[in-house]
Amino acid sequence: MSTRQAQGTTLFTALLFLIGIGVVVQLWLLAASVDALLRHQENTSIHAAIGSAVVFAINGLLVLYVFNFDRRIKRDSERMK
Amino acid sequence: MADEKDQPQEECFECKKKQKDARWREDFPVSWENDNYVTRREMVKFLALGSLTIAGANAVVAGLPYISKAAEMPRTRVGLASSIPVGGSKLFSYPTPEDPCILVRQNNGDLVAYSQVCTHLSCAVVHNEKENALFCPCHHGYFSVDEGRPYAGPPTRPLPRIKLEQQGNEIFAIGVEV
Repeated sequence: MSTRQAQGTTLFTALLFLIGIGVVVQLWLLAASVDALLRHQENTSIHAAIGSAVVFAINGLLVLYVFNFDRRIKRDSERMK
Repeated sequence: MADEKDQPQEECFECKKKQKDARWREDFPVSWENDNYVTRREMVKFLALGSLTIAGANAVVAGLPYISKAAEMPRTRVGLASSIPVGGSKLFSYPTPEDPCILVRQNNGDLVAYSQVCTHLSCAVVHNEKENALFCPCHHGYFSVDEGRPYAGPPTRPLPRIKLEQQGNEIFAIGVEV
């Protein structure tokens, strides 16, 4: 395994954990949003929805970044062969 | 002696079984462990899709109150204003016959109406004239008549307020404020 591949593996694992944490935060926001809905506090639900959308955007960017990185490594390793 | 004779036969049977197993494995080369194996790439995709689903669900939850508000509330006649004395109350239903409400004339002469369903465990609240409060007899919950806010007992949420409109002597319920 090349240094770059090893770096990619570490990055992939780290980002997997980060995205996992993001999903857990989103679940917490969803629970808070439902709770606020039942309490008739519409503002809280809106803020939770905005927060959830932001976390999703971050997760999406991380996924795109890590897939691009992975593709680049594969392309480089094919060239080396 | 009989055991010695049986032994090679049993071994042979085992050998055949192993051969059969090997053939079966050649036909179906995917093992159970490999079948359940999830790559990190698949896991990341699954998490990203989960993230999208949760964000969508959150948006739906945030939009729900506005969708329900958009549905027009009916305009229902409650009764005559002159029929309710100061400190008196009247029961009515709004917006459907299954939603009991209470109309109270406060000491200053103002009329206020609330849902009669206690926000604790849905018992019916009644007007307590002496304490100028809406009282839930089930668990001794008290709500202020002015705003419908709970100030004693187990309830934590205020009573939904019924919007009223007075035309001459007649009172109409026109909406619910939660």
